Amino acid sequence: MTQTLPETALGVAASARSLTRTYGTGDTAVAALRGVDLDIPAGRFTAIMGPSGSGKSTLMHCLAGLDQPTSGTVTVAGTELHDLDDDALTRFRRERVGFVFQAFNLLPMLTAAQNIALPLELAGRELDRARFDALVRTLGLADRLGHRPSELSGGQQQRVAIARALVHAPAIVFADEPTGNLDSRSSAEVLGQLRRSVREHQQTVVMVTHEIEAATYADEVVVIADGTVRTRLVAPATDELVAALGGDR
Amino acid sequence: MRTVLLASVRTYLRRYVAGVLAVAAGVAFVVITNGLASAARDGLVSGVDLPYRNADLVVSDLDGSEAATVVERARRHHDAAAVLGWTMQPVSGSGLVSRRTDVGVMADAPSLRWQRVEQGRFPRTAGEAVVDVNAAKTLGLEVGDRIRVGAGARAAEVVVVGAVDSPSASVGASLYLPWQTVARWASGLYVDSVAYAARGTTQGTEAGLAAALRADSGGTVRTADAFVEHRTVELSQGVDIVGYVLLLFAAIAFFVAVLVVTNTFAILFAQRGRDFALLRCVGSTRGQLLRAIRLEALALGLASSLLGLATGAGLGLGAVAVVRAVVPQARLGSVSYSPAWFLAALVVGTGVTLVASWLPTRRVVLVGPLAALRPEGAAATTPSGRRRVLAGLVLAALGTMLLGLAVATSAAPVLVMGGAVSFTGVLLLGPVLVPALVRAFGRAGRRLAGRSLGSSLDLAAGNAVRNPRRTATTTASLVVGVTLTTAVLTGVASARQSVDREMDEQYPVDVALVAGTSGFGDTVLADVRKTRQVAAAAAIPGVLTEVSGGVGTLDVLVAPRTTDVVRAALPRPRPGEIVLPDDAAGDRHRVRVTVGDRSVVLRVRRGEGFGTVGLVAPRTLARLGGAEGIRAVWVRAAGGADAEDLTGDLGAIVTPYQADVESGLQNRAFVDRQLTVLTSAVVGLLAVAVVIALVGIGNTLGLSVLERGREHALLRALGLTRRGLRTTLAFEAVLLSLVATVVGVLLGVGYAWVGTETLVAPVAGGGVRVPWDQLLATVVVAGLAGLAACVLPARKAVRVSPGAGLAMD
Repeated sequence: MTQTLPETALGVAASARSLTRTYGTGDTAVAALRGVDLDIPAGRFTAIMGPSGSGKSTLMHCLAGLDQPTSGTVTVAGTELHDLDDDALTRFRRERVGFVFQAFNLLPMLTAAQNIALPLELAGRELDRARFDALVRTLGLADRLGHRPSELSGGQQQRVAIARALVHAPAIVFADEPTGNLDSRSSAEVLGQLRRSVREHQQTVVMVTHEIEAATYADEVVVIADGTVRTRLVAPATDELVAALGGDR
Repeated sequence: MRTVLLASVRTYLRRYVAGVLAVAAGVAFVVITNGLASAARDGLVSGVDLPYRNADLVVSDLDGSEAATVVERARRHHDAAAVLGWTMQPVSGSGLVSRRTDVGVMADAPSLRWQRVEQGRFPRTAGEAVVDVNAAKTLGLEVGDRIRVGAGARAAEVVVVGAVDSPSASVGASLYLPWQTVARWASGLYVDSVAYAARGTTQGTEAGLAAALRADSGGTVRTADAFVEHRTVELSQGVDIVGYVLLLFAAIAFFVAVLVVTNTFAILFAQRGRDFALLRCVGSTRGQLLRAIRLEALALGLASSLLGLATGAGLGLGAVAVVRAVVPQARLGSVSYSPAWFLAALVVGTGVTLVASWLPTRRVVLVGPLAALRPEGAAATTPSGRRRVLAGLVLAALGTMLLGLAVATSAAPVLVMGGAVSFTGVLLLGPVLVPALVRAFGRAGRRLAGRSLGSSLDLAAGNAVRNPRRTATTTASLVVGVTLTTAVLTGVASARQSVDREMDEQYPVDVALVAGTSGFGDTVLADVRKTRQVAAAAAIPGVLTEVSGGVGTLDVLVAPRTTDVVRAALPRPRPGEIVLPDDAAGDRHRVRVTVGDRSVVLRVRRGEGFGTVGLVAPRTLARLGGAEGIRAVWVRAAGGADAEDLTGDLGAIVTPYQADVESGLQNRAFVDRQLTVLTSAVVGLLAVAVVIALVGIGNTLGLSVLERGREHALLRALGLTRRGLRTTLAFEAVLLSLVATVVGVLLGVGYAWVGTETLVAPVAGGGVRVPWDQLLATVVVAGLAGLAACVLPARKAVRVSPGAGLAMD
């Protein structure tokens, strides 16, 4: 059932080895990840799927340096995350990683433009005006820059979040259920934009989702169940995905 | 609903901490006031009857010379009379530098002596004295010491033969001398009362005696029992007034507590909006919800008040015990708490909590059931109502007009009204005013800060103004305390100006060294000038004279026309006049002044503050044979000189000449100290309100941190370091407290200006004086306190890992 993907010229963007993550201790301990080995290819759109409670969000948090694994190693863009302290990890995130989340994606007191520029602000880096303008144009946000999140539709908010994730040219972008709160038309728009960044700019994108529809946009789908990788599918069709996930039921 | 109520109190108890603290502090304040007042009353009233135990009648409302007539009558009729009163006299000798001390009277009749001998014995002759045991410690006096009391011709040399305890606080003194000795200062004696014990009085003779005493002295005559009762009531009322003044500060503390509690409820209810909406969804009625929330507030109010009662009672007992141990002169008695005060404090504390919860509670029930189904974050900001802004503007304008009217008419009630109205207006304008100021401060800070700090500052300013009403209430609580503190500091600084001027006139010479019979040597002026803390000194020529009418030997001087040693112009005697201090002049209009065989009669004018000497015109001195030499040295102290040290140093120089050291500086220092003590006391009392407000700022931040957990996690995910997050929160707290402080300082100076123009300027002249150093200190302290207020919330915020924060609901 396992199929290997043709190696790209760009190599591996992120990898996990024997990754475990346990919450709590003693009797109440819950193992979210039980030994995950995974390589994320660079320049590809990878989706991580799984039923709720499967550990897919925890996996993403560990890969993105948002959470420290209990054991095992994570390497992202050539950096071993285990060796970094909190400050170094933070710097790593703001320079090398971009994020798109399901909800509470934007800071309510900042305008769209300020939200997009935030990673650079935090890093104290100059804004690359040309890149910013190109992103804003591509994402169709040019006339929305002065608005606050509460004045934007859900799809617009998520496009602002994508612009923010890409503005500092990160090595890898993580998207956590980016379409969870959107209607189908906005979902298609957001997923299309993510795929476009991969196709046109060789951006590495990792997306966590439980929506089969969303996963069909990906080049490769990693299916997680009970804290381990169950299977990997290359450019799966909808019925393939249903079958792979249906194994649970 | 009871399950819901109990569960929510349990769940949110920790978030109520600040509200509980604020109310408990107010309640504790009231209880401590009760404890201190009861101890003070007990101390003052205890022993009040002792001086009158063996007296039949008591004469009060009379002056020194009238008291003398009563004593004289007692002597004639072989009755006993004891004067209860005191006079302030310089006391020196036996290593004791000249120091103004309260000198009381020791009764001649043993039955009227109310002091208890602790050491030595009572005086037997006019040349003996006893000292109060506590005063002996502060004065450094011991039994056997030989001291000089008073100055000039009226000075008395006495030996301390005993140390006594003075168990009656209201008529106690530091030194007790027999009447025979004290009588010479009768004209300057403050008489509290005279205890009179007649030989063999009966019901019939007592009325006659009372009438006779009334006729003799012109005072009020009561039986001893009636007097004691009258005095007890009087003293208690005095303590009560102080207690009520303290309650005013408790009221301020409660007002601030209301703001803090209102904010706590408003924030908590905003956070629980979805819970409430859900409850409505599953079928609870608006009324049920309202009742549950009000019950929650009631429980909270009761619990905080009880906590305040317990803490206050403990602190009150502790404070009194400490004061009694450290400052025995304060004469605090034992604490007796009154159930009425406790009940009142409990009711007020609970009531205040209920009132504070009223508005936020009303807003809660307006939440529709559908809110639970809407995505989060929809109920974040409420625009400040236009009506509120309008009301604020109208009140501010009206208040300003009233304040203007107060300045124009010098009317205190208008001043108070104008202050209250305009302040309410400013508080109502808060939701508009405060965010604008926070943004302005943020922009100003941005220009100063570097790039990396700049983003934290922007985030902080943005966070601080997200909920204008919440921000305004938070800052308002601090504005109240800072405004009052600033107004008091500025007001006192301004009043001090007029007091200083008055002191200059009352004590034109800081220290006067007046020669004894031997006169001064040639080197004395040089020695004085060399003394530390002396700014200037002048030798004043004159002659030692004999003055008629019982005044005795007295130095008569010609005051120099211009000199840098005096602080204000001295009275300038014309030929044929002599300027005498009240003490020496008594009620004489003319005196004969004699030097050897020369003698002149001079008209008496009165003046003070240049020592016990007479001032005459140069021509008058010439008629007395001219100056004999230096009869006095006048000293002007350097700024900030220590009165005790300087007087001591100068005393050491002139000891060989048996000269008197008379120091106006000590009185000046005394008045100065009292003003300082008064200011510190008021600022200390206001500090309670300020501390409550700071707890409020910490509380608002802490609760906001809970609300913004996911945002903080997002920021951390996007690359904000722990330190960066901590800095952001610190900036937010400092911005809030600085804005509050700046608004408070501006308002306070404004009110102080209006107050000075209304109350002080018409009476004593002089404008407002702004104590920049103190105000700067206020701003700095507020900034630091703001930092302190964010420590706990910041710790909580950075502890959450970004991953966990994002998963948070």
